[in-house]
Amino acid sequence: MAWIRQTRRLALLGLLASAGCAGNGQGLDQNGRPVGSDGGSGAALTADLQSIQDNIFTPICTRCHIGASAPEGLRLDAADSFDLLVGISSAEEPNVLRVAPGDPDNSYLIRKLEGSSGIVGVQMPFGGPYLPQATIDVIRQWITNGAQKPQSLAATLQSRAFAVTGTSPMDGATLMQPVTQMLVGFNHDVDATLVNETTVKLERLPESTAGGEVITVTAPARLVASNAAVIVLATRTPLAAGTYRVSLRGTGAAALADTNAASLGLDYSFAFTVTAAP
Amino acid sequence: MISARSRLRWVAVGLILSLAHQQASAEPYLAVQTGFKCGQCHVNPTGGGMRTAFGDVFAQTMLPAKHLDTGADTWAGEINRFLAVGGDLRAAAQFEKTPGTASVDEFSLEQARVYANATVIPNRLSVYVDEQVAPGGALNREAYGTYWSAGHDWYVKGGQMYLPFGLRLQDQSAFIQTASGINMTTPDQGVEFGWEHRSWDAQLTVSNGTAGGPETDHGKQYSGQLIYVEPLWRLGIGANFNDAAADNKSAVALFGGLKTGPVAWLAQGELIDDKSFPDGGRRMLATLVEGNWLFARGNNLKVTGEFFDPDRKVANDAQTRWSVVYELTPIQFVQLRAGARFSDGIPQDDAEHEKFYFVELHGFF
Repeated sequence: MAWIRQTRRLALLGLLASAGCAGNGQGLDQNGRPVGSDGGSGAALTADLQSIQDNIFTPICTRCHIGASAPEGLRLDAADSFDLLVGISSAEEPNVLRVAPGDPDNSYLIRKLEGSSGIVGVQMPFGGPYLPQATIDVIRQWITNGAQKPQSLAATLQSRAFAVTGTSPMDGATLMQPVTQMLVGFNHDVDATLVNETTVKLERLPESTAGGEVITVTAPARLVASNAAVIVLATRTPLAAGTYRVSLRGTGAAALADTNAASLGLDYSFAFTVTAAP
Repeated sequence: MISARSRLRWVAVGLILSLAHQQASAEPYLAVQTGFKCGQCHVNPTGGGMRTAFGDVFAQTMLPAKHLDTGADTWAGEINRFLAVGGDLRAAAQFEKTPGTASVDEFSLEQARVYANATVIPNRLSVYVDEQVAPGGALNREAYGTYWSAGHDWYVKGGQMYLPFGLRLQDQSAFIQTASGINMTTPDQGVEFGWEHRSWDAQLTVSNGTAGGPETDHGKQYSGQLIYVEPLWRLGIGANFNDAAADNKSAVALFGGLKTGPVAWLAQGELIDDKSFPDGGRRMLATLVEGNWLFARGNNLKVTGEFFDPDRKVANDAQTRWSVVYELTPIQFVQLRAGARFSDGIPQDDAEHEKFYFVELHGFF
């Protein structure tokens, strides 16, 4: 019928037009960003996080791993990649660190990039093209070298006064059970001798605002082995449903301080709520 | 005396007639070719995953080039009145070439999934699980309970589920799937309300907005779609807003399907506004047009053109992708797919110039 032929012709034109033309890349760096706009260096890949960020995480991984919908909560933009990778348990395999400094074979990031047996889900980057082994070997080398923070980021953070940069859970968050781990990130390495039950405390708050008892919960605090700028509080058993507060003592004698003996200068706390699993 | 094949046909016709009022989903191009709503062939009212009894019978009688006669033994997934099971397996041989890197050729088990659906109150209340069991460890995709109204015109669903937002394609790496971040690899936990009335179909989901990960803030994700379905065409709009501490992301989509003789067309265009980029946010555009030519029973030729502008403020950065895929369904429950995908983008980025060829075995029941 004529209408079918005409409609089909129109749809075919639509199909041809839909794919249009790819960009010619004029004025852009290798990440497809205007030259000089986002630090894309165009330099060869080297075994440091800044280079890995510019050449791999930003142009490839942040197509998905960015923002609120980042798969497994893993954001790989420049601001978050280090803190969410190094020394942090994988969401898919909690017994394996995403990046275990010095140990690429036991780093889940490498297993996912290589598509090793035993991973949950599929090889990354999702849908390919997968990274050449030579590229993965550079990431392996960065991990073997200790998975250090980019020097530029470290310098920026170091230039600021000692402070909390982030917490997990975030202040005001509501989480479903089980919750056994809380993280506090700082911009400087923390003096390990000052991390104890008096400077870092987990408390369960009363259910009613009318009053009640604040109960201290046993949750030993320690620095993450591979990242001295992160304190982890871990409980032996999952937290019961309720509202909790993590308090950091940043003033007074024996307050939390960085390795240069600069204290936080203020007491800090954040609260979150744990709800029962359905 | 009625032959086994005739009995099977009558079973199929009976199922089609008896289930036509129900809502299930189908592969989008099959839905357009048949004129059904997406929900006709899948347990999930928004499509994907386990097939309904209708979908199973369709897969045996209408889809394959040849039906192997099994007599009166017709698989409909039902273990008994209350419990149904299903599965899906995709294994491929593939070749991938990206400029500047060594080519990759490999056999790959893409996925093996098992489904189970317990209808604990017939036609009203069910519990559904979709579990990927390989490769690697087990990975839950969907797990939810659904409560239907007596008239099957609305439902409420709670648990982990795929989000309603436009065409739910099999190719999860299509630009329209990756740009919005809403696809079958990023189910989320929440609650969904569905409404179905004659040609209309609507869903709204409220979820954590963490793609299945733990909730980290008070913000929630809202995703919905409204579709009008006619036998020869359909048109829908979708919207998504993710209110998150790590900055908001919103997307709107216009999508549809059209049947012109043996060709089923699919199209979707979507605009995404993602504030989570460190440079202050980006507005993106992703489009897809796909033609599916069913040139003989069990033989489908699929041609897809895609366009992606990763930042509308930046010129010369667009990407395109062309796919040609031949799908042969020789017998019931078995599909062979062979195809090629050609990506094109800025010359500076080799990864945007991938060529990908594959032959895939797809088994499903």
